[in-house]
Amino acid sequence: MDCNCIIRSKLGLAALALSLTAGVASAEELLVGAEIPLTGSLARVGAGMNEGISVAVEVFNKTNGKHTIKVITADDESAPAKAIAAVEKLAGQGVVAITGGYGSNNIGPASDAANKLGLPYITSGGVDDSLTERGIKTFFRINNTAGYRKAMVGLLDDMKVKSASVIYSTKEATADLAKDVQKELAAKGMTVGMHAFDPAITDFKPIINKIRLQDKSEVILMAGYENDYVGILRAAKVLKPDVKAMIGVWSLATPKMVADFPDLMPSVYGTALLPFPAEFKTADGKLFADTYKKLYNKEPDYLGQFGYVQSMILFEAIARAADKGTLKKGGVVQELARTDRETLIGRVQFNDKGDNVNFVHRMGQHQNGKIAIVWPSDAATGKMSFPGVPW
Amino acid sequence: MLDLILQALYSGVLQGGSYALIALGLALVFGTMKVINLAHGEFVLLAAYMAHTVEAKLGLSPVLAIPVALVLVCLCAVVVYFLISLIRKDRELNSLILTYGVGIILTNAVLLIWSADVRSTSSAWMQDAFVVGPFYSMRSELLFFAVSIVLMGALWWWLSRSWYGRAVRAVSSNRDAAKLMGINPRATEIVSFVVAGILAAFAGVAIFSYGVIQPAFGHVLTVKAFIITVLAGIGSIPGVLVGALLLGVAEALTVTLASSALQELAGMALFLMVLFVMPNGLFGAAGRRG
Amino acid sequence: MKMSRTGLALIAAAYIAVPLLLGSNNYVMSLVVAAMIIGGIALAWALLGNLGGMVSFGHSAFFGVGAYVSALLTMKAGVPVLAAMLLGGAGAVLASLVMLPVLRLKGPYFALAILAYAHIFKIIATEWSSVTGGSAGLASVPRFPELMGFDFSGKIGSYLIILTVLLAFVAAYRAIRASHYGIALRAMHDSEDATRVVGVNSTLLKAVMLFVSAFMTGVVGAFNVHYINFLEPDYAFSGLWVTLPIVAAIFGGYRTIVGPLAGAVTVYLVDQLVFKNLIPSGHQLILGALLVAMIIFSPGGLIPLLRKGFGRKHAAA
Repeated sequence: MDCNCIIRSKLGLAALALSLTAGVASAEELLVGAEIPLTGSLARVGAGMNEGISVAVEVFNKTNGKHTIKVITADDESAPAKAIAAVEKLAGQGVVAITGGYGSNNIGPASDAANKLGLPYITSGGVDDSLTERGIKTFFRINNTAGYRKAMVGLLDDMKVKSASVIYSTKEATADLAKDVQKELAAKGMTVGMHAFDPAITDFKPIINKIRLQDKSEVILMAGYENDYVGILRAAKVLKPDVKAMIGVWSLATPKMVADFPDLMPSVYGTALLPFPAEFKTADGKLFADTYKKLYNKEPDYLGQFGYVQSMILFEAIARAADKGTLKKGGVVQELARTDRETLIGRVQFNDKGDNVNFVHRMGQHQNGKIAIVWPSDAATGKMSFPGVPW
Repeated sequence: MLDLILQALYSGVLQGGSYALIALGLALVFGTMKVINLAHGEFVLLAAYMAHTVEAKLGLSPVLAIPVALVLVCLCAVVVYFLISLIRKDRELNSLILTYGVGIILTNAVLLIWSADVRSTSSAWMQDAFVVGPFYSMRSELLFFAVSIVLMGALWWWLSRSWYGRAVRAVSSNRDAAKLMGINPRATEIVSFVVAGILAAFAGVAIFSYGVIQPAFGHVLTVKAFIITVLAGIGSIPGVLVGALLLGVAEALTVTLASSALQELAGMALFLMVLFVMPNGLFGAAGRRG
Repeated sequence: MKMSRTGLALIAAAYIAVPLLLGSNNYVMSLVVAAMIIGGIALAWALLGNLGGMVSFGHSAFFGVGAYVSALLTMKAGVPVLAAMLLGGAGAVLASLVMLPVLRLKGPYFALAILAYAHIFKIIATEWSSVTGGSAGLASVPRFPELMGFDFSGKIGSYLIILTVLLAFVAAYRAIRASHYGIALRAMHDSEDATRVVGVNSTLLKAVMLFVSAFMTGVVGAFNVHYINFLEPDYAFSGLWVTLPIVAAIFGGYRTIVGPLAGAVTVYLVDQLVFKNLIPSGHQLILGALLVAMIIFSPGGLIPLLRKGFGRKHAAA
């Protein structure tokens, strides 16, 4: 047993030495760090973002011609302390910027650490407003709560409904969004019923029943995650409240939900960047979809799209800085701040807080085993089937 | 309002039935061995993932996963029993840490094999509504509530009528006396572990059929099962049922009368209250205090 | 009770050699600090197990309360960070007061009742949003200050703070163990009934040990929040603060003082540097297996096992 232990510590030392010396790359290759959760509570969304990052690398290297990007990935295990360590490890390996991050509690400390090391940090994994209010100049984000709120409220405007019930998880992002939406709807004079639920809850029938018998709202808004949506929709399918629409946010209008829960999804709304099956009008979009299918042999989902967009914007900024020779002089941050580009998620421009000012999400609806974009009208690929519910 | 409360009671009772199925195995092992198997929730989860595999890969009804799940989970149960039997001293506390470790192993094994995606049945039959008057539920909930009651009845019959069952009860009430009567406590302990595995297998398939599963879910199930075991008191099958129903109803009523955000708080508060006020549970014999 | 020469040398090395050798590598320092945080909880957990005879699955309760109390005191009342850390520990002791009723309970009941408290505290932290910021949590929690021209908010500064905290804990633990109480407590471990007969109030002693353990864990939680500068309920009361310390304490030997600390550093570093590379997702599996193996083969931990091995060699020589 004791010799076993010596072997262990030797292994540890060897790995330590490795991690200290590794990462001196060839001159041509530009190193970028990806700090993402591959394990822990955020493993699933982290893996989705990671796919987008890999696709971005593939596409960039194929199309740029001049520069080559190499991404080093570090798992933050969905834990803040490890997110900091991951950023520092990547910095030690010589990366010029960080892409990734999921969950505001991990992104906050990780981007803080990156800032201290002078590395730009770009993400799409945390929509909390406090992230962009810290006065960090190296932090950039392509999406935000406001964009989700605008999409939800915009869709409700189109529906011309007067009352809504919001069912939301007490987790950070969902609670923030729910309260934002409530404020805006109340300001428009709508009646809004709020129903917070503990993330551990599994039976949603008592909540749906309250909406059915007490709120009597016209639509139900859901701010949660996949498991919550499944529970809510099942409960609603059983109790059949007299509503005109079931509207969710992220992780709902996705190909995966179409495949896994075909009976629960008809007519349900959720945020979606692209219709399904994906129709790409731009060359950039086609390239993304083809590469994604080549690498992963499945339909791209929104996590991959966000991960792709954030990484492409970063890679291009790095390439521009490298051309100008400002790579080591804070050039990447300057170039990122100058970003103005049409992307899969619409036009991206950052304000002085690093937030994407143009971000407005789109709303998709499950229709006959497909997903149509139904809001805003200029991006729509189909007509909203309203009123409509899965039962 | 009356409709709301009636539905909450009904939902709570159905939920309680499934809680009972999860808790029975934990309570049984605790009764015979004074060991809390902290990997019990992971046993249930393992069965649930077997149901997922059978449905998603073979296109069969999740119910047909029961035989496979039975074999796998009982095998796990025997392995865990064997590991526990290797503990040399202070079994009560060391087994806690040991089974906690087994729980970590199983959770991560599930993560490696099935990934972190959320899973649940896509069977339309299971999810369809079953409505009687003001009472609404999914078919699967009612089906597995019935299964749960039948299994509990079978267990009760087995414990009170069969030789092994009586041996299990004898060992749980007085180990030394049971030895004197010619009962081999090791054999009864294995039997109780295997029976716990059988119950967990059914519970897992049930959970997959009406709920949503994730790799980290096992721990939640263990905690729920333990709460019920405490409510019940040691060695009482009817106690487990009553405790489970109590927990289910308390949760559903909290959602209906207060806020759904407080549901978990209600369960925990109930648990602590019973610990303080009736340290031997609602039906238990003495023996919990230090 | 004299401090051994190797002990002194180790302390000197920890204060001087580690910052000099590793201080320039942020990543390694991050790992070391994180390992020491786990070590602090592991020590507190082991104290409760060794002297109090209690296994807890809810130490995240103390960790979270300590973190919240300290963060809120610095942010809302302007209390200096280092003072707030101690008050964070005091807050954890206050929280442990409501756990006194469960002290009468036997092993598994206590272990899981305390877990229920951790759950309840987490829900309170989520729901009481006017004070705690709810699920959004607290951002920009104050960092460690600059003292005597040295910036303690950096990696080396943070390392020196947690090192000092841990050494203070070790000293306190040794003092308790050597005192009359310590002797009574160890007697209690062997036979609770016997100690009752000779007139030792076991429940009171257990309560005191619970307070000490809660205080230590609370201070570590407070340290962590000023180190990470961010806090939210899920993180503050995370199961992370239970699993790793238990593995560390059992691995190092929960009946010893150095064991949990050595265990934490070994387990954390090996996990991060080796296991993580072997199994990128799900490397905790190995930690679970380690826990099982230790309980079966050497429940006293690695240090007693090593000592036994050494002893035998010496005897043979």
